[in-house]
Amino acid sequence: MDRNFSTAFRKVIVIGYGKVTGQVLQHVCGRKKEYGYEIVFVEHEVNPFSIMEKLCAENGVPFLQITDKKELAAWFDGIGEKTLIVSAGNNFLFPASLVQKEFITIINFHNALLPAYPGRNAPTWVICAGEKETGITWHYVTAGVDEGNIIVQKKCEIGGDTRAFELTEQLMDLASAAFRECFDDVVAERAAARPQGFDPQRRMYRSCEVPADGRFLLTDPPEQIYRLLRCVDYGKNDIFPSFRTTVDGREAEILRYRKVTPEKRRDEDGFLYLPFSDGDFLKIKYRYVECEDEN
Amino acid sequence: MEEKILAILKEHCEDALTYDGDSMMEDGVIDSFTVINVVGDLEDEFDIEIDAKYVVAENFKNKEAIIALVRKLLEE
Repeated sequence: MDRNFSTAFRKVIVIGYGKVTGQVLQHVCGRKKEYGYEIVFVEHEVNPFSIMEKLCAENGVPFLQITDKKELAAWFDGIGEKTLIVSAGNNFLFPASLVQKEFITIINFHNALLPAYPGRNAPTWVICAGEKETGITWHYVTAGVDEGNIIVQKKCEIGGDTRAFELTEQLMDLASAAFRECFDDVVAERAAARPQGFDPQRRMYRSCEVPADGRFLLTDPPEQIYRLLRCVDYGKNDIFPSFRTTVDGREAEILRYRKVTPEKRRDEDGFLYLPFSDGDFLKIKYRYVECEDEN
Repeated sequence: MEEKILAILKEHCEDALTYDGDSMMEDGVIDSFTVINVVGDLEDEFDIEIDAKYVVAENFKNKEAIIALVRKLLEE
């Protein structure tokens, strides 16, 4: 079947960081020959493991690093030609003045099944809520946060031991696959998008929110504690502060945790073993910290 | 010590064992998600805390760099 690769977009800008960003950029580059658009990559949030600069160099794509929000907004404001902006793993909020320009189209990857879990750190909140299923959404960007019409969604299951970073990776893989499926329709401006139909009063998750306010009690069910620890586990990325609890009347910070079988239980200082109902234990490494004076 | 580190790498990223370059990240041998798993297992195995300041590409450029990092933290 002959395919029509024509597009009115003169430029495609990819912005974001992380695995999905690289995969999206590679797909956009792979289609450049057919569509003839110009490609630019923008890095706004710097990741210590980013390979985007190298990827851009390999594909002949201009690499711009603009970390300042105002500077980035001004740079976007200077765009004067019909442009598609692909926001993949990006936390920069596009100004309404940019979104409303007729010659600008922006699509964004959200790591949840909109209209559920809009805002920040969606993998955290779905694990925290004990959801069994989540997914990704590619949607058009409007002036409101995560409000635009849905282009495509894909679902996945959440395992009982899944940590936030593992779910994030899973969702990025889903997002890459979904992007490859919808890109030709988006760039040809024929994607069949549908409204979200959300409740205007829906909860918007903000970056300053921490599940359970970052604390648990040792008397809480271990399954619940495990879920809380997993839902904020992004490795060494300090997206959330370390969880805290009280051990022997003293303030303690949780350093790490793991589900272990009974034979791996050891009596060691600085470790707690909380029994799960299935016989396994939640092993928690902690350290005492000074209690901050709240007065 | 080295054997334990190599066993952890083998579990999460077997290609790291034979990689002889100096940028596993850029060469696609390891990614940031794998690093999270490797760091977690190294902390458990050696009962050390690997501060975020050490979790950078330079310290995960190859298996020798990872071994050197753990050795340094164990000596602190």
